[in-house]
Amino acid sequence: MSDVAQATVRGFHQVDEVVWELPAEAREDMRVPARVFADRELIGQIATDRSLDQLQNVSTLPGITGAALAMPDIHQGYGFPVGGVAATQPPDGVVSPGGVGYDINCGVRLLVLPLTAVELGGRVEALVHEISRRVPVGTGHGGALKLTGPAFDRVLVHGPRILLAEHGIGTADDVEHTESEGCLAGADPAMVSERARARGADQLGTLGSGNHFLEVQRVARILDPDAAEAFGLRQGQVTVLIHSGSRGFGHQVCTDYVRTMDAVLARYRITLPDRQLACAPLSSPEGQRYLAAMACAANFAWGNRAVLAHRVRQAIAQILGPNVASQTRQIYDVAHNVAKLERHQGQDVCVHRKGATRAFPAGSTEIPSAYRGVGQPVFIPGSMGTSSFVLVGGQGAMERSFGTICHGAGRRMSRTGARRKITGAELRHQLEAQGIVVRCPSNRGLAEEAPFAYKDVERVVAVVERAGLAGRVAQLIPLGVVKG
Amino acid sequence: MGYRWVEHTAELELEIDARDRESVFADALRALAELLADDGHGNRVSRDVVVEGREPGVLLVGWLDELVYLAETEDLIPEDVERIELSEAGLSASVRCHVGRPRHLVKAATYHRLAFKPSDGRFYARVVLDV
Repeated sequence: MSDVAQATVRGFHQVDEVVWELPAEAREDMRVPARVFADRELIGQIATDRSLDQLQNVSTLPGITGAALAMPDIHQGYGFPVGGVAATQPPDGVVSPGGVGYDINCGVRLLVLPLTAVELGGRVEALVHEISRRVPVGTGHGGALKLTGPAFDRVLVHGPRILLAEHGIGTADDVEHTESEGCLAGADPAMVSERARARGADQLGTLGSGNHFLEVQRVARILDPDAAEAFGLRQGQVTVLIHSGSRGFGHQVCTDYVRTMDAVLARYRITLPDRQLACAPLSSPEGQRYLAAMACAANFAWGNRAVLAHRVRQAIAQILGPNVASQTRQIYDVAHNVAKLERHQGQDVCVHRKGATRAFPAGSTEIPSAYRGVGQPVFIPGSMGTSSFVLVGGQGAMERSFGTICHGAGRRMSRTGARRKITGAELRHQLEAQGIVVRCPSNRGLAEEAPFAYKDVERVVAVVERAGLAGRVAQLIPLGVVKG
Repeated sequence: MGYRWVEHTAELELEIDARDRESVFADALRALAELLADDGHGNRVSRDVVVEGREPGVLLVGWLDELVYLAETEDLIPEDVERIELSEAGLSASVRCHVGRPRHLVKAATYHRLAFKPSDGRFYARVVLDV
């Protein structure tokens, strides 16, 4: 930590209390500076793995503008760091599938129930258990909404809107309260391989494994009463947070296009410090095809979370009654692995968010009308057993981070490292001792997601707030967790 | 020496040290098998796997992606390589699997820090898996 005391960490100079920057001159192939939002404690943790090298590599992408940015939850990934943000300028700037990641539109949806934790009382365990019965987790195939042929393709093109129209899943209010209303334009199923279809065919409405989870929570603290009121959040209220993505469908879309772009790098005279950054100009046939396929995967992911929310409402109806289910409202649904064409500071750019969340401020026409007076809600899940936060996008995000903030606590310890420190059974006991109901079939998977394997979410969120990117609205604490 | 898993903050990094190129692929399969393994009681089947390409590292990524695809779409957990041939065109192999329930999901093999090279008369490879 001695170099932290000198306010320089691995070449990153402290610019202000929560911003660290590596100038573009630091390496010959850098095109823009690399900039990290972090406090001294976090930058010290971040510097212990390859995150900063990976961020530096991102700064070499053709057409990148501003800076290669990292949120305070940054950790080592592959190619891009997780928690990385890169904006590239069309037409010659690139789009990189690795800058979105394999789990395209992994994201978070938050539902709010019309009752408090006190009113829920002793029915927590029954509710969590019923959710775990209805939501397929892990590697199994059962329980998904199986669609084929044109019906499957319509989900790729239209997202949750078509699930509502054709299958009665979700509500019009849910669709409105979803980033981009759950539908990225330009989705073209013809750009998606048969392999992607095969992997996704029986995965619509499945949670998956790894760090995906579903949590029943209680609003422990209201930190911004005005924004909380706009979002419809009250002290003590019960919420359900759903964290999942595009499953095997999105994984295969990324696999296909990383391979495609790796093969055409020489054609576009692109040299990269890491092959996983494989990319092509936004205007190129390969770039256009990827954007069309990625939009399909993003829409599939929103569809997946819509089906998951539908299953949760079914469980609520079963345990708490149909009135409670019908009054369970979706606050919002945010993507945290996606590339989107947006306008920032007078420029059209393609914003890659890899483990980072869009967070537009008050006044944005991109967010639901009910929230325009306060800004976009963003959900930052903590690790299991710790707090999650509801934030609201701030003007600073538009000025400093292409309208982006963090996506979670961010890992700090490897999966094997976590398993060396605790067994799944021990962790299960610890969580249950805190009064948290746990439904997870895999002890190994549980141990890998132990809270100490992650950074302190409160510290991560505090950095985002101090940087002016977003403000805290509410703190949520877990009552029960379901994971694969 | 076979294979070993190297510490990575979020993903899984696999290192292989093998006597020849073919054994690199066989060891990669065994590593993935360790990751996916269930109780192993399901029916045994054999699958042919073909991966096109000339560059060994890209072939290794393609090989692991094929095995991930079989696990995800057909619940086939790989056990061992029955036959493997490398040629100018790529890789052709037969893989012994059993039908089961993969314990772990692997999203993909990546090109990040990808390596496949001769080393002291043997072959060294490295690949990072997104899990």
